[in-house]
Amino acid sequence: MQRLTGKRFFALILLLPLSLLLLVSCAAPDNGALRFGLSKMPVTLDPRFATDATSSRINRLLYQRLVDFDVASMPTPSLASWQKITPLHYRFTLVPERAPFSSGELLTSADVKATYAFILDAANASPHRLSLARTIERIETRGDEVIEFFLKEADLLFPGRLGIGILPKQLIESGHAFNRAPVGSGAYQLDAWPDDTHLRLKRRSDDLLLEFVEVTDPTVRVLKLMRGEIDMMQNDLPPELIRYLQQEPGVKISRGAGSNFAYLGFNMEDEFTGKYQIRQAIAHALDRDSIIKYVLGESARPANALLPPDHWAGVPGLHQISYDPGAARALLKPLGYSRDTPLHLTYKTSSDPFRLRLATVMQQQLAEVGIKVELKSYDWGTFYGDIKAGRFQMYSLMWVGIKLPDIFRYVFHSTAIPPEGANRGRFVDAETDRLIETAESATSIETQAQLYQQLQGHLLQQLPFVPLWYEDHVFIARDHVAGYTIARDGNYDGLLNVSKQ
Amino acid sequence: MINFLFSRLLSALVVIFGVSCLVFFLIHLVPGDPVEVMLGESSQPADREALRAALGLDQPIWVQLLNYFNGLLHLDLGESLHSKRPIVELLMERIPATATLAAAGLLVAVVIAFPLGIMAAMKKDTAWDSGAMFFSLFGISIPNFWMGPLLILFFSLWLGWLPVSGQSGIASLVLPALTLGTALAAILARMIRATLLEVMSEDYMRTARAKGLSERAIIINHGLKNAMLPVITLLGLQLGALLGGAMITEIVFSWPGIGQLTIDAINRRDYPVVQACILLISLTYVVVNTLTDLVYAWMDPRIRLGEGQ
Repeated sequence: MQRLTGKRFFALILLLPLSLLLLVSCAAPDNGALRFGLSKMPVTLDPRFATDATSSRINRLLYQRLVDFDVASMPTPSLASWQKITPLHYRFTLVPERAPFSSGELLTSADVKATYAFILDAANASPHRLSLARTIERIETRGDEVIEFFLKEADLLFPGRLGIGILPKQLIESGHAFNRAPVGSGAYQLDAWPDDTHLRLKRRSDDLLLEFVEVTDPTVRVLKLMRGEIDMMQNDLPPELIRYLQQEPGVKISRGAGSNFAYLGFNMEDEFTGKYQIRQAIAHALDRDSIIKYVLGESARPANALLPPDHWAGVPGLHQISYDPGAARALLKPLGYSRDTPLHLTYKTSSDPFRLRLATVMQQQLAEVGIKVELKSYDWGTFYGDIKAGRFQMYSLMWVGIKLPDIFRYVFHSTAIPPEGANRGRFVDAETDRLIETAESATSIETQAQLYQQLQGHLLQQLPFVPLWYEDHVFIARDHVAGYTIARDGNYDGLLNVSKQ
Repeated sequence: MINFLFSRLLSALVVIFGVSCLVFFLIHLVPGDPVEVMLGESSQPADREALRAALGLDQPIWVQLLNYFNGLLHLDLGESLHSKRPIVELLMERIPATATLAAAGLLVAVVIAFPLGIMAAMKKDTAWDSGAMFFSLFGISIPNFWMGPLLILFFSLWLGWLPVSGQSGIASLVLPALTLGTALAAILARMIRATLLEVMSEDYMRTARAKGLSERAIIINHGLKNAMLPVITLLGLQLGALLGGAMITEIVFSWPGIGQLTIDAINRRDYPVVQACILLISLTYVVVNTLTDLVYAWMDPRIRLGEGQ
């Protein structure tokens, strides 16, 4: 036994690294793909059902849409150009140089009709049905190239609603499982989906392989990038990891302004947060510039409204809520609150460590003016459920990928209180309703833009929420990755032109 | 032995039935509506009701329970609300990864724990003993979410020997298995040391020494065999936990197992998948513990005889 615990024991310890070295040779072979690290894999590759950001972004690579958006979020032709024949009749004509489906068949008007007919059929339970069913009365085709949409009511934003990927009619009718076996006419096609942590696409123009790899933990994702197991990633990293990567050789970091809007929401039915002076005091107590500089690592720009100023309905000159703790204290004093007799509020947030850190910073800033905040952190489902049910005083969330200004009805109209919409703060204001309704019935985009701009100024005065910031998008890649451009909404369209040098 | 076997299997079936009912009712108590998850926040009440009816969620709870058991008997666990894939398919994809990791973790634990525990017991109150117990304390104290990245840093980044994460060949199994196995090895080593020390003071050990047997023969043939019973119990419980999905390790190493599937499903409020995962984890515990009981009875006849009396 002496020999076992002595020399043999050490021999065993020495053998262990040697065995590891042998195991290295058992690693999977490199298929030459460019690897993109994701925090979450797409849930479905069927655009008729996709609602999560990753699925939507990857579906853009696999499918083509009738309409896309420019940098100002104005609808632009993609697969089709359009004509407004009457306010209730739109004619879409497919572009002649469109790519065929990956199955080889040409995309025709029948495919467009079949895709939208499927979504409009309530029996199919598509989450995209609502916005389309409210507007579309019927769809007709004229030959292989022309699709006519007849509307129930005039809708200036209608073309912008047609951003869903088009699927082949024949496969829709046969009940093909697009969720795992997508067939689209996009720049990429499915190569393999071997398991739920790897998804491989092939670029149709040059057979470049692109592999999405799920790595949930951000630290591990960074380590994989440093070791070259992944070649690139976008967002979902805390600022300290980005700062760490900035010093790493062989890694390049690029940033782009984003439109994802972070805000602090209030429950307007609450006896405290329902008071305008308290909301105003909170708005003045938050030092957003410092948070952006020190916590977000300058990867954001301050926000004053839901739509960024460069959106066609955004407001470039909207005044900013100033950081003024003195004014905040002055607003709270007549209500009987000070640092000695603080106002007690609860702030709900998700269990995401970074969101929790931001909440802690805001908790400290609010304490400075006499608001003692109790943080309550929940898993996403419980947190989101509480917010929809109105079980909160304050919370913070983010609106992602907003393109159309009809979001204002969904978020602020008095008839949009959940479950009817996303007016989670139970904000009821006659002027807001009037501005939303007037904007919706405007007959020109210019008038509509003016009305939405007026509405955003009004909301900043009413403060049903405190606009915080628009978070930037950060793309990190190994040196050999070239040609990627960051999109305003954080989509992965940069992969259309990416290459390996 | 047959009576014992029958009684253990019967009680396992009762536990499985109880767990199935509990899982069903608990999942209905969790806040949130699967229909709203599927249709989104902005869906119309009419659409929600139509889907609720299509899914059978408008039926009385006992009818839903019967349907659920009917599905279980036919191995039909429904489909994921999000990916629309059959849940059985999802589970079948994940089980091999979890089983492989559990087996490898257990192997690492046994390989480390037995020599360490035996050595600590044999060289009680020496530097060897202190060293072994320090390692054990180290293994127990360091959480997996910390141990994992540390191992990655050392073996993957600094030495460049092993892949950081994912499931790509045998090499990718080493670090997650080491992470899982180290914690288990630490617990096992302490247990082996304690039970061996207890056994070594027994009369039959003194008799063995008096017969002139070597210390190694005494420990292996007499000591270790008698010290194994509590170790087997611990191994059984730990194996149940490993097979149920070592969630943190799977997440750190992006290991596509049951643990990661469960966490994803919880975050996405994919209730049927959560339900199936919890049921599978419970079933694993029941099966492993029943097997442990049977091994226990096989090793110690007093247990099955006591059961028979």
